[in-house]
Amino acid sequence: MNVAYINPFVEAVDNVFRTMIDVPTTRKSVRMSSENGTGVSLTAIIGITGEFGGVVVLRFPPTTALATAGKMLGTTLTDSASPEVTDAIAELANMVAGSAKAKFEQDPPLQLGLPTVVHGSNYRVRYPTRSIWLEVPFESAIGDFALELTFGSA
Amino acid sequence: MKALVVDDSMTIRKIVIKALNTIGITDVAEAGDGEECVRSVSTAEYDIVLLDWNMPKMTGIDALKTLREAGKKVPVIMVTTEAEKSRVIEAIKTGANEYLIKPFSPEQLAAKVKNVLPALAGA
Repeated sequence: MNVAYINPFVEAVDNVFRTMIDVPTTRKSVRMSSENGTGVSLTAIIGITGEFGGVVVLRFPPTTALATAGKMLGTTLTDSASPEVTDAIAELANMVAGSAKAKFEQDPPLQLGLPTVVHGSNYRVRYPTRSIWLEVPFESAIGDFALELTFGSA
Repeated sequence: MKALVVDDSMTIRKIVIKALNTIGITDVAEAGDGEECVRSVSTAEYDIVLLDWNMPKMTGIDALKTLREAGKKVPVIMVTTEAEKSRVIEAIKTGANEYLIKPFSPEQLAAKVKNVLPALAGA
């Protein structure tokens, strides 16, 4: 995976957080994704297909997911497995993937799938052999989270 | 004023409804996909429809095509992550009156609605 492909996604994360919930984010160093279990977390997954393609993942600890969804909805949420939190996290992934894919200005445009959210503890996301996944950890005033990505020419 | 908000995300529907409320549109119906949108517009009168693009069952652009082919002239604002110029052009050619790219602020949404509904300009 060409590391240059990651920048539109990193920029999209910050833009989505600033615009939708007025929370700036700070990216940390890019690293290879591990397949280690991550404790309890919510993972939003969305595919992109077309001339370029890949999968975009946003992974949140429950506290960050609750705070993020709560700010989006203007309310206090307490159950990170609730439909409200799941829907909000899915929509964030949708906006990040959509904003980033537009930067590639493909004609015909790249296609977004519908997002899926997994909630649980001690699960692993298994990445297909030969695909290279990069992880970008983010910090914010409402908690840490991570972007994981595999993307490139189809 | 009566609005229909169409998005498969309940989060986005709530955000859009809250923004509409700030400019005085409080009579708002919701739909979760394109088919539901078409059914709703066929059976009720709306002053404006806010329509997502990527949804299950029927996409927003297909719903818009269906509405225009049926002669429905209700103003439609596409509210979508689809940000490529070719998508915007496709939507306008199909009959969208305005186009708002996600992510958006409540102020941006209110401005687009006022563009389409000049009667709200002072709201």
